[in-house]
Amino acid sequence: MPVLECKELCKSYGRTPALDRLTVSIEPGRIVGLLGPNGSGKTTLIKLASGLLTPDAGYISVCGLPPGPESRKNISFLPERTAIPTWMSAKQLLDFYGDFYADFRRDAAEEMLAHLNIFPHQRIKQMSKGTREKVQLILVMSRAAKLYLLDEPIGGVDPATRDYILSTIIGNYNPEAAVVISTHLIADVEKVLDEVIFIHQGRLALQSGVDEIREEKGMSVDALFREVFKC
Amino acid sequence: MLRKLIKHEFHATGRTMLPLYLILLLTAAGSNIAGRWMLDSQIFAVSLLGGLIIFAFIIAIFAVFVEAFWLMIQRFYKNLLQDEGYLMMTLPVSVHQHVWAKLTVSAVWFLATISAVILASMIVAYDVHIFQEFFHLIGDIFRVLQKLKISEAFNGTVIIIEGLALIFLALAAFSLQFYAALAMGHSMANHKMVWSVGCFFGFQFAVQFVGSLLLVSLSKMRLFRFLNNWDPEPIVAVHVGLLMAIGLVVIYGTIFYIVTIFFLKKRLNLE
Repeated sequence: MPVLECKELCKSYGRTPALDRLTVSIEPGRIVGLLGPNGSGKTTLIKLASGLLTPDAGYISVCGLPPGPESRKNISFLPERTAIPTWMSAKQLLDFYGDFYADFRRDAAEEMLAHLNIFPHQRIKQMSKGTREKVQLILVMSRAAKLYLLDEPIGGVDPATRDYILSTIIGNYNPEAAVVISTHLIADVEKVLDEVIFIHQGRLALQSGVDEIREEKGMSVDALFREVFKC
Repeated sequence: MLRKLIKHEFHATGRTMLPLYLILLLTAAGSNIAGRWMLDSQIFAVSLLGGLIIFAFIIAIFAVFVEAFWLMIQRFYKNLLQDEGYLMMTLPVSVHQHVWAKLTVSAVWFLATISAVILASMIVAYDVHIFQEFFHLIGDIFRVLQKLKISEAFNGTVIIIEGLALIFLALAAFSLQFYAALAMGHSMANHKMVWSVGCFFGFQFAVQFVGSLLLVSLSKMRLFRFLNNWDPEPIVAVHVGLLMAIGLVVIYGTIFYIVTIFFLKKRLNLE
């Protein structure tokens, strides 16, 4: 059964279409790059899957469930911006995640925090922007979810932090789950991807395995992206 | 899950409200001392200090009410409609549970604020003589209660329960009017807060308009003629009045609850 499935999915903001009859399916055990230029509909798809938006038409499901409280038990979502309450400490956030998610692995989270020398009683507001993003990522990746939705996880951070984030994703995701990484920094994420989905103006432009692209087209995903989305 | 949401909501709001209550009670104790020994002092600095402490107490009363009111709005806005909304609205809980958690905690803080101000006022008025009189009064009340018939005691208890229920429901319904305005305003693409303020005043106008229409149309209904010609015992009239008020508040709150749920569920538009 696909972890994420959408058929003829449509979503508009006023008169501007964000997704236009999008049909995609993502199987478990895959790390998928959701790629497209700015405004192509990547974030809209992730918001629809996590239940933050309601589709105008079409169908979307996560592990066979329509978006809602039940489907959210299976989703670990990393938003583009820092969403964790800044008045809380790292320890309080672990308590919070432990309360709401049965699949939260507290020991894994504590280990990652210790590895980064983040003091559990330090408040989020006392941390730098990069450290806040790392804490948020640690919380998201410490869940044994079935679908990880990561919206621009490496946007706005330095290259060293990018490497840390990608290694955290690879080292901590549930192997039976699917990981969807939305980004336009393709060269950085390409090495970890199994599959890519290109979205252009809300429509599916391509869905293919990374190895197939390299073998059949003889180019990297980054090069293919530049060719497909040439201005 | 609702219990967990309420626990975290108390945690988030208590860190502001509890220190304020402490300040209120400390300034109340200070005002008591100021009133008894400092204001009439021959030393100007002492009497000035006494005046300032009493002024601080008045400001503290104002601050606890403003903060309880502000937290009711701010927690809903910041926790569900701003950046934190990305965390909260993707938790495995329903929109109904989110609204009930906010509503319950806001109403509890309103009631706690009223209780804290009453307690602070008692502290300000504290005097051995006053407390002796107070306990005499309590004793008198109990003696009167013992002489009451069972039906009178029962009626009195029910009226107190009805009154408390009315206050609690009115506070919840008032909060829901703000929540509905914020949820509707934040479904817009731009100028979300301006739209929210506009929605609030729009709702206010609609409530007054519908209320006036209801009053006018009620006067032409049979129910009104029945009530007009009805000559019940005073105690029955109080019950009927309180229950009618509770019914109206429940209708008013339910309408805004439905609006809030609809916009959070179907029209959520986080930035």
